[in-house]
Amino acid sequence: MPAADPADAVFNALADGTRRDLFALLGRRGEASATDLARELPVTRQAVQKHLGLLADAGLVAARRSGREVLYHPTPGPMSEALEWMAEVGHQWDDRLAALDRQLARGRTSA
Amino acid sequence: MNKAVERELLVPETPEEVWHSLAEPAWLGEDASIELEPAGEVQVGERSGFVEEAEEPSRLVFWWSAPDEEASRVELDLEETDDGTLVRVTESRPLEILTLRGRDLALELDLAGGQGPVASAAAGGAALVMG
Repeated sequence: MPAADPADAVFNALADGTRRDLFALLGRRGEASATDLARELPVTRQAVQKHLGLLADAGLVAARRSGREVLYHPTPGPMSEALEWMAEVGHQWDDRLAALDRQLARGRTSA
Repeated sequence: MNKAVERELLVPETPEEVWHSLAEPAWLGEDASIELEPAGEVQVGERSGFVEEAEEPSRLVFWWSAPDEEASRVELDLEETDDGTLVRVTESRPLEILTLRGRDLALELDLAGGQGPVASAAAGGAALVMG
């Protein structure tokens, strides 16, 4: 964890929706390169790289080299467990609210 | 630090219409059922729980958990707006905040040479500060 207030760094890092998605995705993957992650998100590899940098600054992810690739993984620890839960649960609610909207929309067309 | 997730959805329906849609719980997941009354059953797949508060048509609070998971609390607030209804959902794990924070502190104290019981007492104190 970096100095100053680690909680601030963590929350700033996770204040952005794309970074939360990225962090949740990395949590499910275990380990992935920026290129792999960019394939699954609606952002460029360069943007993913930048976001991973901010997550790394906050101590949430770490990187290692594997041949010609750099692979990222979430760092263990209670703080990142908590944040992983937040990212995962946030995803689930995005899906459920979209489903609720579709459920309500069925009544809209017939009204 | 409050471990909670918040999401919002704006729909053109009235809070009453949204409330009635909540009673058809397919949107919550597969094999879902929910009794919209206090102490009502909540069942969504392998998750189960109960309704804490049901105030038609503005507020629904329930607790749920999957097997071997800590329970979390879900609050759904339906707020009438000019254009329809703002649905706000908050899911939080009040119980787990304490244990997670406790582990953080226990770790710090262990690094400083502290003992287990001291660590847990300190964690309890910190939990109160955070609450």
